[in-house]
Amino acid sequence: MDALPLIQISDLDIHRGSRLVISQMSLELSEGEVIALVGSNGSGKTTLLESSAGMHALSSGTIKWRFANSSMEIIRDSEGRRNSLPPFGLTLQKNGMSGEETVQERLRTVLSVCGCDIDHIQLSQLLTSWGLDHRSSDRVSQLSGGLARRLAVLSGLAPAVMSPSPRAVLLDEPSEGLDDNARLLLANWLRALASRGHGIILATHDSKIISTADRVIRFDEENKTSESSQTHTQSDFELPQPTSSTKISKFSSLMNWAYRMEKRNPIDTINRLLPSVLALLMIHTLISEDEIALVGTDFFAAMILLPSFISVVIPPALIPRYAEENCGRWWAAVIGPQFRTVSSIIGSSILLPLPLIYVSWIVLSDNINTLNHPDVLSWLWLPGLAILIVGMSASALHLLVSDLRRSGTSAISLLLLVLIWPFIELTDALDMIIVDGMSFSSSLDEPFSMIFLACFVSILVWAISVYLPDA
Amino acid sequence: MFMPSLKHYGWGLTCVGGAGVILTAVMGYTYAPLVQSPPFRSPEAYRILFWHVPFAWTSFLAFCLLFIGAIVWFLKRKEWGWNLFCTGSDLGLLFGSGVVISGPIWGSAEWGVPWDWGDLRLNTFGLLTAVAFFLVLSRRSQPDGIDTRDTLSTVGLFGFALVPITAIATTVYQKRHPSVVITQSDETGLDPKMLQVLIIGVFSFWILMIGLSILTFLAYKLENELKQLLHILDKEVFR
Repeated sequence: MDALPLIQISDLDIHRGSRLVISQMSLELSEGEVIALVGSNGSGKTTLLESSAGMHALSSGTIKWRFANSSMEIIRDSEGRRNSLPPFGLTLQKNGMSGEETVQERLRTVLSVCGCDIDHIQLSQLLTSWGLDHRSSDRVSQLSGGLARRLAVLSGLAPAVMSPSPRAVLLDEPSEGLDDNARLLLANWLRALASRGHGIILATHDSKIISTADRVIRFDEENKTSESSQTHTQSDFELPQPTSSTKISKFSSLMNWAYRMEKRNPIDTINRLLPSVLALLMIHTLISEDEIALVGTDFFAAMILLPSFISVVIPPALIPRYAEENCGRWWAAVIGPQFRTVSSIIGSSILLPLPLIYVSWIVLSDNINTLNHPDVLSWLWLPGLAILIVGMSASALHLLVSDLRRSGTSAISLLLLVLIWPFIELTDALDMIIVDGMSFSSSLDEPFSMIFLACFVSILVWAISVYLPDA
Repeated sequence: MFMPSLKHYGWGLTCVGGAGVILTAVMGYTYAPLVQSPPFRSPEAYRILFWHVPFAWTSFLAFCLLFIGAIVWFLKRKEWGWNLFCTGSDLGLLFGSGVVISGPIWGSAEWGVPWDWGDLRLNTFGLLTAVAFFLVLSRRSQPDGIDTRDTLSTVGLFGFALVPITAIATTVYQKRHPSVVITQSDETGLDPKMLQVLIIGVFSFWILMIGLSILTFLAYKLENELKQLLHILDKEVFR
């Protein structure tokens, strides 16, 4: 019986700036096949490999993957259609791992994203085969470059190794940074995986790895490709046994990962909390009842909201975590088109706005006896909730700008200016709650309508920043 | 025989437009009559409108170029769309800055406040200029590539999506905080001399903008050609 295709690429054109990097490329990866992409630097190997995982916009062409029901479905095309990929293995040119994760966490995350149920013994077996078991509790940042690369390669291969059904694996220069033993091991694993029916595309300059391929595709300098074939005997190298499949939990895996990273090193909380608390203390020091009487309660309302507003517009720590070793690109490829939506929610400040608003009120209203409407404490959570939504929009804008390769050099504050509108609306609403109490009238002059409007504007900004880039 | 190229037209229009802009300023000071006080609080300051209004109308055209360029790149990935996008963002920043600088100067003198959160035009131009500023800075700092272009054209489209958002927010805000009264006069319409200067100003700015658009567009086109040549050279020197 003929081997079924795992990936079909047809008539692919990809531009980098004004330069056509890949021209009219068609390629099919079948079960049990290893394809090596070979060529000089900048010839388009990485672009083709990453495009296979739907990571690049296409000028023309279609990329299809085989799903569990054996149907070939489009995962990306030049018309803008995008879909999530079926479980697959991926090793990027950079390792795609955060330095905060431990070795075993990394492997567990990779496998849970791909729906592989793995116990401690199997995990240990996998790590032992790549000489990493003794470092299983170490953070990735504590590993040497070679060990980190081994883990990255193992993370790319594990979803196929542990899967009973054929899967695609994409490896970008996997042997880069590996010693001779690890390269030999990699070559053995590649052939053994092919024998089990998995398909592999790899980009490499390494002759040892090239020799493991069934087909070698060479890229020349004029964007043309040539192909040669090599025959291999069935590999008898022993791989760890596949495990049973479990429910694929991409989103919860990403959320767990983000939570673990923050728990281990709470830079997001600290970066948001410190400026907010400093602002609150400065306001408390400088503001007095006389000044409130002079400038009005709307100023006082703005001061109550300011610390929590500051906390939500600060760039999320998720962005530098994603930027480390292309970790975000790995997640984006694995999660698919919903990556931005999920990231904008988990990257925003979820816990801080509400407590900060209450603390601000308690601290600032302490020595201002004239402003003490009983409704304020009961309804302060409502503008707090709206600020949480403002935070989601800010997070989505930060993520949008983080798509740029040198995002640190971009003046994101110019785009965040639009969030001044929800802040003004919320200030007006809180001002009215402080003076007249809460009202649910639908008139535009009532606090509830203003809070609703602030939420509406924030949701619009969030929706545009999340859906437009992937449209 | 001398055959003028597009570049020559660009230079010619820029020079004519630039001269017209200077002429507008001179006529604004010498030819246009002084307005009455009251209703104007600061009668001399009104003369800034001979630049402020043309700046606003011209920046609107530049923002349209930016929008069209962003759409063309976003949907079709045409090189000329990207060049148009770059041209629109450069000129949008130039003329938009003219609006948001001259507006608050006039506002401070006439209303006593530099910024009016209830003024739709001011807020829209403010945000669009901020977006254009972001695009110009980012384009200069980012390596050129399809991903960069996609992200920046998305930001360009985001800028335009802000227009209705700003409109909703400003309109609602204005209902609760009535806008600053610009003039309490019952008279409507401009003095004919003022109208003449304003028309000269608007046309001069438009001509200047067309000239600058041609030159900027050509500059970006040449820059792309240069990048292609450099790429060929990269390969040649390593042979």
